[in-house]
Amino acid sequence: MSQVIEDKVIDEKLEWSRINADVIASMQAPRKAYWVTVFVCLTMFLCAIAAEIYQYKMGLGSAGLNNPHMWDMYIATFVFWIGMSHAGTLLSAILHIIHAQWRKPIYRFAEAMTTFSLMTAGFFPMIHLGRVWNLYWVLPYVSDRGIWPNFRSPLVWDAFAISTYLSSSALFLFIGMIPDMAILRDHTTGWRKKLYGILCLGWRGDDRQWRNFRRTYMLLACFLIPLAISVHSIVSSDFAMSIMPGWHVTTFPPYFVAGALYSGCAAIMTLFVCLRYFFRMEEYMTLNIMEKTCKLTFAIAMVWTYLNLIEFSSTWYGHNIYDKEVLIAKATGPYAAVFWTMIFCGCVVPFTLCFQKLRRHMPSMFVVSILLNLGMYVERWMIVAPTLAQAHSPHQWDVLWGSVIQWAIVFGSFGWFGLLFLVFVKLFPCVSMYEVKELCFHLKHEIEEEEKAKKHATTKAAGKAEEGSGRTAPGTPGLEGA
Amino acid sequence: MSFKNILENFSYYRRDAEDGGHHDYDHRFGMTIDLDICTGCNSCSTACYAENNLAVVGKERFEKGQAMHWMRVERYWDNIEGDYAEEGAKFLPMLCQNCGAATCEPVCPVAATYHTPDGLNAQVYNRCIGSRYCSNNCPFRVRYFNFWSYYEDSWPEPLNMQLNPDLTVRDKGVMEKCTFCVQRIRTAKDKAQREERVMADGDVVTACAQACPTGAIVFGDTMDPGSRVSKLWEKHQIHRGPFLQKKDKTNEEIRGYRIFDELSVDPSIMYLERVRDTEV
Amino acid sequence: MSRHRLLAMFKDFDDAFDVVDKIKAKEVSGVEVDDINMMSPIEHPNVDEKLGKRPINIAYFTLAGAIFGVTFGFFFLSSAQASFLVQPQGGKPVVPLPTNFVLMYEMLIFFAVWTTVICFIFLSGLGQKRGTLYSEKLTVDEIGIVVEIDDSELDSVKNFFKNNKALEIREEKV
Repeated sequence: MSQVIEDKVIDEKLEWSRINADVIASMQAPRKAYWVTVFVCLTMFLCAIAAEIYQYKMGLGSAGLNNPHMWDMYIATFVFWIGMSHAGTLLSAILHIIHAQWRKPIYRFAEAMTTFSLMTAGFFPMIHLGRVWNLYWVLPYVSDRGIWPNFRSPLVWDAFAISTYLSSSALFLFIGMIPDMAILRDHTTGWRKKLYGILCLGWRGDDRQWRNFRRTYMLLACFLIPLAISVHSIVSSDFAMSIMPGWHVTTFPPYFVAGALYSGCAAIMTLFVCLRYFFRMEEYMTLNIMEKTCKLTFAIAMVWTYLNLIEFSSTWYGHNIYDKEVLIAKATGPYAAVFWTMIFCGCVVPFTLCFQKLRRHMPSMFVVSILLNLGMYVERWMIVAPTLAQAHSPHQWDVLWGSVIQWAIVFGSFGWFGLLFLVFVKLFPCVSMYEVKELCFHLKHEIEEEEKAKKHATTKAAGKAEEGSGRTAPGTPGLEGA
Repeated sequence: MSFKNILENFSYYRRDAEDGGHHDYDHRFGMTIDLDICTGCNSCSTACYAENNLAVVGKERFEKGQAMHWMRVERYWDNIEGDYAEEGAKFLPMLCQNCGAATCEPVCPVAATYHTPDGLNAQVYNRCIGSRYCSNNCPFRVRYFNFWSYYEDSWPEPLNMQLNPDLTVRDKGVMEKCTFCVQRIRTAKDKAQREERVMADGDVVTACAQACPTGAIVFGDTMDPGSRVSKLWEKHQIHRGPFLQKKDKTNEEIRGYRIFDELSVDPSIMYLERVRDTEV
Repeated sequence: MSRHRLLAMFKDFDDAFDVVDKIKAKEVSGVEVDDINMMSPIEHPNVDEKLGKRPINIAYFTLAGAIFGVTFGFFFLSSAQASFLVQPQGGKPVVPLPTNFVLMYEMLIFFAVWTTVICFIFLSGLGQKRGTLYSEKLTVDEIGIVVEIDDSELDSVKNFFKNNKALEIREEKV
């Protein structure tokens, strides 16, 4: 059995000026790889734009939808992007509340990922509508005809929830970045200095600001956690509040939240590997942190697996013939290949995270995280399509696979997300400088306390030994650690 | 939007279907379809196309499942080994059941579908933004979406002259479904009001009921105890309300049932079971 | 009587807290612990111990925002539903409480978050001008202590800082 490697979260002796310099360097003149990535993302996004223009003009029939498949990949992708946003909240808010210090170097890009996932997800309710231009009718505004949206509908809940979540996440990201903006204001020049000067709102790092900041951040984290859970529960209620077999499942809210955390953690792993490699952040995004992220992902994967099993068993035990038939069709019918891909990627692949050698091998983790996310995307689609394919009325059973237009738009959404993220990493620090300094500071303190305690213990023991041999022991409390 | 309004009527606003709902119905239109005398001729479906300006979508789009037949005749086979292709087919004309506790109504994000005091499930084309949740939530799958701008090529000159002026032609992005020929109902109501009388049974007949050659479809007001449809409902022991019907199963004459009754959606259409002449 | 403000820079928290302890022990006149403003690149967990508790009122505003969100949510939704009686039924009542609870919850969080952020910006004095004493090194790794003193104490305080490992001292007239 090979030795289990245990290393520190981060090198506590990192000089703070170096932290500043490294992160600012990541924001400077982009290299060729960056521009290539931008070009690829832009192309993908333009494909989506072209497809959407065609669909807008011709109608949703061009997306290949029919009766009964009134929803297909757009809704699945919508749920996927909303889900991916949850891990950012998990990392920033949940781990903050439980004082998990290891989140500090990586939560910034995770929180950014949250905001951008939501901005990507926000497109899908728009483009999947038959009459996109009337989208604003979903919002509750005072109209002179006294017409309101239907507050009973989970889609209206979606509108409320997602706008709340997007604004709250953006605010949380922004507030968390204020001290970093101050650092950048002080150490950059030209248009950047002006930009950060405005964005940091006059942060000076004085006592009153820090105390209020600490309290505000904790309050926002406390609100963001129930918000994140409620948002994905509301998205799940798009399905759970209907009567369709396979959708009308009470475990959908926790199932969706678990799936969201899962795909978000996998996305964090992917971005971790990419940012660590391209920006040479090995000192900050350490292997220890990757290990912890992997363990977290594994735990969530097991929760997700369990919730799947719960859903299958309760369907099996229940005598609702519609639900049973849909479940059997998922596993053995026309969509079976996709179903088993989901099971493989979601339940089997995470076991690779149990091996430390693999966890510390970045290329493997990149591949694993992509597979996990593939499994989760497929899971979302497996929720939408098989139920619609085999619902109550046998006359309307139909098998549908996505069409070119749908694929183009879904594909392009990844391009849009990529573009947003690429702009972010060059404009804003993808590693939170002040939090990394805090991490180093705390780690240094911890190590000092440990050494003090050890010295105290050894001196005490030495003193006792001397006492035992008859000599008087000198007073020991003065030995303060170096 | 006054608080007084809410506070005064709060208990009234809290009534749901099991308590009778908050609607004071003046009519509750319903239908009976006798599957024993239905021959599957599709006259009802054709009449519906003509009456309601339904677009003929063409073979390719029909096969893709993008058809607009508000009334569709479903065919089911128990035994597919007969001498002829259609032998042994059972026909089920399926149309919007105008459910009393409709599952499509609460899920529309913009309130484009609602329940009228006539007992009809109404679809407001102008309000629909095309989210299609209502169609997904319909267990009968009788809601049809305008996937394309069908009007552009469904009625080339001079076919557009045959369009019914009593209702609109729908553009893409809008959901539609059977309305129990609401335009005929409104016309009959207006006529009755002008003549200062109550609407009588037979004043309104839907296009499908009118066209059916065997008289399998009976339409009327189930709140009017004298109407044909009321009498049929009573005879076959089907009652209004989202409750499972308790029927006398020993009497073979009582053939009435509602589809997917276990879902408690309170459909307005009672089907009369086909009398089987062979042992199944 | 004119006053000056002094900014003394220290290498790390230990040096800065030594100075604070000495000020607490009244080793230098003209400066009280409550008047000290400490500027740092990160927050220190023991700042409450060293400098004393100072009131932070953000949570009250958050609570107010949350309560407002819930009540506003309920009344807004119910009035809209009560006035739009043609609203789809599906057998559901006009004012369905379960669905209203969901939306009330979202509005609670929405208003709580926005109130918190807006109050943070005001209560932490982010927009206010507080003199121009600042050093770029405060965002790297040095700690600053800002005090406001009378001109008469200026030199003694400066010397006190110099004798206690201050790396740099800046001053300005108030």
